Amino acid sequence: MTPEFVCYRLLLAIRYSLFAIRYSLLTYRGTNSVQLRVDHVAGGAFVAFGILVFAVSGDLPVGRLSMPGAGMMPKLVTGLMILFGLAIVARANESAPFAELAWSDVRHAGATAAITAAAVAGYERLGFLVTMALMLFALTAGVERKPVPHAALFSVGVTALTYALFTYALKSPLEPGILGFWQ
Amino acid sequence: MSTFANLWLGFQVAFQPGVLWYAFLGCVVGTLVGVLPGIGPLSGISILLPITFGLDATKAIIMLAGIYYGSQYGGSTTSILMRIPGEASSVMTCIDGYAMAQKGRAGAALCIAAVGSFVAGTFGVLVLTLIAPPLANFALRFGPPEYTALLVLGLIFLAYMSSTSLPRTLLMACVGLLLGAIGIDNMTGHFRYSFDIAELGDGIGIVPVAVGLFGLGEILSTPSATVTGKVLTPKLRELLPTRREWRESVMPIGRGTVLGFLVGLTPGSAHIISSFLSYAVERRVSKHPEEFGKGAIAGVAGPESANNAASTGAFVPMLALGLPTGPITAVLIAALTVHGIGAGPQLVTEHPDVFWGFVASMYVGNLMLLALNLPLVGLFVNVLRIPYGYLYPLVIMFCVIGVYEVNNSIVDVWIMLIMGILGYALRKFGLDPAPLVLGLVISPTFELSLRQSLIMSNGDWLIFFQRPIAVTLLVACAVLLGLAALSMVSRRKDWRAKLAEAEAGEPTS
Repeated sequence: MTPEFVCYRLLLAIRYSLFAIRYSLLTYRGTNSVQLRVDHVAGGAFVAFGILVFAVSGDLPVGRLSMPGAGMMPKLVTGLMILFGLAIVARANESAPFAELAWSDVRHAGATAAITAAAVAGYERLGFLVTMALMLFALTAGVERKPVPHAALFSVGVTALTYALFTYALKSPLEPGILGFWQ
Repeated sequence: MSTFANLWLGFQVAFQPGVLWYAFLGCVVGTLVGVLPGIGPLSGISILLPITFGLDATKAIIMLAGIYYGSQYGGSTTSILMRIPGEASSVMTCIDGYAMAQKGRAGAALCIAAVGSFVAGTFGVLVLTLIAPPLANFALRFGPPEYTALLVLGLIFLAYMSSTSLPRTLLMACVGLLLGAIGIDNMTGHFRYSFDIAELGDGIGIVPVAVGLFGLGEILSTPSATVTGKVLTPKLRELLPTRREWRESVMPIGRGTVLGFLVGLTPGSAHIISSFLSYAVERRVSKHPEEFGKGAIAGVAGPESANNAASTGAFVPMLALGLPTGPITAVLIAALTVHGIGAGPQLVTEHPDVFWGFVASMYVGNLMLLALNLPLVGLFVNVLRIPYGYLYPLVIMFCVIGVYEVNNSIVDVWIMLIMGILGYALRKFGLDPAPLVLGLVISPTFELSLRQSLIMSNGDWLIFFQRPIAVTLLVACAVLLGLAALSMVSRRKDWRAKLAEAEAGEPTS
């Protein structure tokens, strides 16, 4: 059994799984209206991701079974990932409707992630003191709506203390950035 | 050298002032991690992992392990005083622990939880001392096919024990295995999925992934409005249980200890599963099952002992076989690897000071935790008064520092951020990120042993069925897959489904 044959079988399995899903959705449509469920989205996302990985790993050699190449393991694992994704989609009717998924925390998550991303983007250029103080201030005053003087004091104080702790006590200097003179 | 001579060597290492200090630090931080809701032992260990890079391997592993078993002690505090599990394995303690607190017996519940944890932890270390070295000697017979089969069994066992479904766990493990394939292929030198980013040539590190998924991901999923701040503080004189409470706790502690240790040896979230199992066992054997839920001391003593024994039991396969049974042991293995030491059979023979120093430090650590958790409970509880709105920005800052300091690489910090967002999304869709970390850790070993096995056999897959140890392990895989398939086909609620319902707070009928 060559790796190509294994890959062929995997693709065949995926094709049959897709047929099975299509059939189950059509059968389901006969009794109820098809409802998008949480696992349709979750499983589908991983199937799409797997297909994308296959697409970008075309140049990786699979090799032979007696001398497996660099692409054997990733392609094998990607095939399995697609299969498990399809299995989740196939049993999606047991999961909650996608419309019922609670998104109340998404504003907090989005704001926190965006502020952290901005801090990461400026970390090497502006340095630890500036980016972290701004990040802490944005999170406490902006996201958490803490009083501005409290947030400012907390942000500057904690950042300066942490910088001093790492630079002088732990002898592990943090990124100095534009305030590099303050060593 | 005999076990006891080795243990003596271990105590010589563990009693060095520097080592004692890091064991103490680990225990204190672990207790704090356990006390704080929203920060579990895995995120605590992941965030602090980079700080240990400047230490020698013995101090690093002792401190990180201290955080792990310390968190099991600390987790009970918030469960009993606030009805908020400090971490997942303390969920069952909430029920009767909080009921006892409302009756004015919070101190007694905390004392029994601490004593039970101490007994279980010490028992676990004793058994670890006795069985880990012979198991490691046995594992020296393992070649690439045996390791491949062992790692497959580890993944399938994890999927079987998981309270989410088998395909979901294996899907997450596959994503981890795939992430582990990024970087230069060690056997052929091919660049895989590095997209001309030089930093990705070395692969994706465990630190940014673990910190992102569990540290940042947890924060993104926890809006501050959901964290309450009402705290009960018991007085020191209220800590002593009555004679009746002691008597009623002895057997649950014993049963929880043995059960927890045995469950801890298996892959999966053993410390969580063991506390659920222990609670179920105690309710079943109790002469007064109607008292459970209303403040039964056995409902605190059993689960708390079980989760501590399980966390010690998980060290046996980690130290003796190099097999991570869960994400926490996976991160601990990564910590050893960073210091150039591989976990597994060679650890006992090639680095006896690390192995035995670690084992001995656990005896000392359990004593420290007993001393810390009883008189200082009021102090630890005060940490809960820090508003979460100030606490989580601090945690994010330490995540950024921790990840950046490993390689001075901003790419690692971006990976952490991406993993944080992924962790948030996975939780939203009911996917457990733990198998992903496990997959990432075992990926290089798994790929290497699989390819070596195929090269050894000149491409013959039958090599896995021709060697007795490998075939035994694969038969175990087949049995587990068969059992899982049976429960999927019959759609019958087995113990795992009931556990998932209990974890979600739904009634189990």
